[in-house]
Amino acid sequence: MATQYGIKFAIHLITNHFGNLVAKVCENLLRHGPLTLDQLIHYTELSKEQVKNSLLVLVQHNCAQAFVPEPEDDGSRLRIRTEYMALFDNIIHRLRFPKFLEIVSRKLDEECVELLDGLLRDGRLTLKQMVDRASQGKENAVATNAVREILCKLLAARFVERCPAPEPVVSTSFKETTTRKRGAKSAKIFEAPETLEQRVIFAAVPGDGIRFSLTPDTGSNVDGETNSDDAQMSVEENVEFGAEEEKILWRANFEEFIRHLRRKVLVENVRAQHDDGTATVLNAVLEATRTVERKVKMDNSVPLSLDTIVTEVMKTDTGRTMTIDRIRASLGQLGCSQRMIVDDSYSIDLKKIIERARNEEVESIVLKRYGRDAYRMFRLLSRDGDFHDTDQIAASTLVEKKEAPKLLHKLWNDNYLYMEKIPVTGARMQNTSITMWKVNKPLLWEYVLDEMYHAALNLNLRMAFEQEKDEELLNVPKDKLKEPGPLQKKYKRLLNVWLLLGSSLMKLDDALMLFHDF
Amino acid sequence: MTHLQGSSSSLKRKRQDLAIVSESLTDAERVLYNLIHSKKDMGIWTGDMKRETNLPDSIVKKCLKLLQSKNLIKDVVNIQNKGRKHYMAAEFEPSKEITGGDWYNQGRLDTEFINLVKDVCLKYIFRQKVATRDGVLEWSRKSGVFRVEVTTQQIDEILRALVLDDDIVEVKSTGFGDFSSVPVGRICYICKSKGGIRGEQKSGAMASIPCGVCPRINSCTPDGIISPRTCVYYQKWLDF
Repeated sequence: MATQYGIKFAIHLITNHFGNLVAKVCENLLRHGPLTLDQLIHYTELSKEQVKNSLLVLVQHNCAQAFVPEPEDDGSRLRIRTEYMALFDNIIHRLRFPKFLEIVSRKLDEECVELLDGLLRDGRLTLKQMVDRASQGKENAVATNAVREILCKLLAARFVERCPAPEPVVSTSFKETTTRKRGAKSAKIFEAPETLEQRVIFAAVPGDGIRFSLTPDTGSNVDGETNSDDAQMSVEENVEFGAEEEKILWRANFEEFIRHLRRKVLVENVRAQHDDGTATVLNAVLEATRTVERKVKMDNSVPLSLDTIVTEVMKTDTGRTMTIDRIRASLGQLGCSQRMIVDDSYSIDLKKIIERARNEEVESIVLKRYGRDAYRMFRLLSRDGDFHDTDQIAASTLVEKKEAPKLLHKLWNDNYLYMEKIPVTGARMQNTSITMWKVNKPLLWEYVLDEMYHAALNLNLRMAFEQEKDEELLNVPKDKLKEPGPLQKKYKRLLNVWLLLGSSLMKLDDALMLFHDF
Repeated sequence: MTHLQGSSSSLKRKRQDLAIVSESLTDAERVLYNLIHSKKDMGIWTGDMKRETNLPDSIVKKCLKLLQSKNLIKDVVNIQNKGRKHYMAAEFEPSKEITGGDWYNQGRLDTEFINLVKDVCLKYIFRQKVATRDGVLEWSRKSGVFRVEVTTQQIDEILRALVLDDDIVEVKSTGFGDFSSVPVGRICYICKSKGGIRGEQKSGAMASIPCGVCPRINSCTPDGIISPRTCVYYQKWLDF
């Protein structure tokens, strides 16, 4: 579920990319949950045409998904209403396009980057549109076969996929119990239930066989006819009806990119915590089980036997020098102890590595904001996960007894700690209570994530503000800016500001993914 | 730095025969001294003295003065309640409940001393690459930082604080590389910062931008009085 500032940030991105009308429609979808076309018109107070066009833009860019709620058994069978749902994650992914392109440039080649760039810019494309795009500005049209080959490469790496079904039928009967729990913080403590968003996405995604296959014969469910009132909303409408192949729409597979980025974070964190050897082992394990992974947020790596792991490690450049004993020791460092291993297969606790990285991020905020004493106390509570009383915390962290409660209260006040007062009854201690403290991680992480969205929004707003402030610089001819003087100084400052804000945003985005997507 | 003196030596030094002491005292003084002495290293608050002896305020005050001048009792700071006058027989050293523990001096946490010990321990771990608790203990004893006997508990406390500071990490020996000197599976400590300097920290993504450390983030809105456009922290940050 998106947090308050998450939604604000998403709306900001949509406003920047597609303007106010689209943003208004998107905002209503994000705030109200799935809506029908009529409801959207009612909430946005826009004309039907405007709402429709906005929805088309959102669907084209994979920021919204239409679905048909499964009719219930009563008489409502006759009226099928298509509902629209904003895809929060995909909206935020727009921030990460440069990272996605970078991955492809590293793994594949420049042609693939170009094709993917087109998909990211336009959202969804057919093969023919890709060919047209590639041919633009060139004397001779690019051959369809050449583009198809590039697409095949991207499909094989799973960086591109078929677009999901335009309007899957989804059962919404569980809606009352699981959706829109914003504010009900306690709900987060338990395993998050499957949201309607997840259900719709799951229903719309074609099976793996079709999803990454170029051949058109099995695409019938993708283009299946729908009989709803809004059938004309289907984005395929504009596509020329020619060969089957030309009807298939392709888009970037965000899931694979996020998986890629997650894997990188896992390996780099292990490298920082342990050593290169251990990172090599983890990388080899993840690489070997790449295609078996079902979802992005895998808690544990797919179990592998020691023999398989050794073979995989020795395939890599850095792993060639490692002995079996060394590999086994690395697996031990990754938390696979001999006792836990069943049937000689090793599975690495990936969730723990992610948790560690999250802890580090939060701890660094605590250190900067509240100082070293608070940092020690917070780490004590965070590592332990249990309740501790004030005196115990002060003694364990070597913090002055009088200072400790002040710092703890500050942290509590800013939502970083959870506190409970336990009344003590005793002969000489009337009306006294012991204050117990604890770090409630799921709650805290949600809070920190919201602050990060807030910070990301602020970075964006400041960037816009800086540009606005020095707008006249953009109208000055380039040569003038090269001459030393106040103009050049101002220009250099603007460049520096842009560089700092931009790189900070990208770094912050890594943290956003760490808390939201990984 | 007297706070780390072991209590055993002073006990011997100051031990006096109670009978001889009693002879030179008045009745009131004796009652009071016996009471204070009976509380051993916990000492007693003047308020409690009055309640338990039923002596009038002025007498208690006078007696305490005399007893102190005879070096029979001393006043001590009680960490639990610094405002209350607390007395103890001279032969005892205040207990941990009174002083706050090994790291307290005159009722205050001796941060200077703690930092000194931390530095010494960290430098040792850094030089050794991998160190066990016993190794650190032995080194601390030799180093001369502690004027008196240092306990395993004290070293444990320092190591725990260093771990919480994220200056060192507690790991289990793998027996490879740097760990070759430590038996496999034994708990040991490695230095996290490069150079063995305390407080070295890489800051996270959020902590390196103004919003990450902003005390006013909760009152910051895009169009409010506090906003990224008007933010003074941003102004400072972007001042090239």
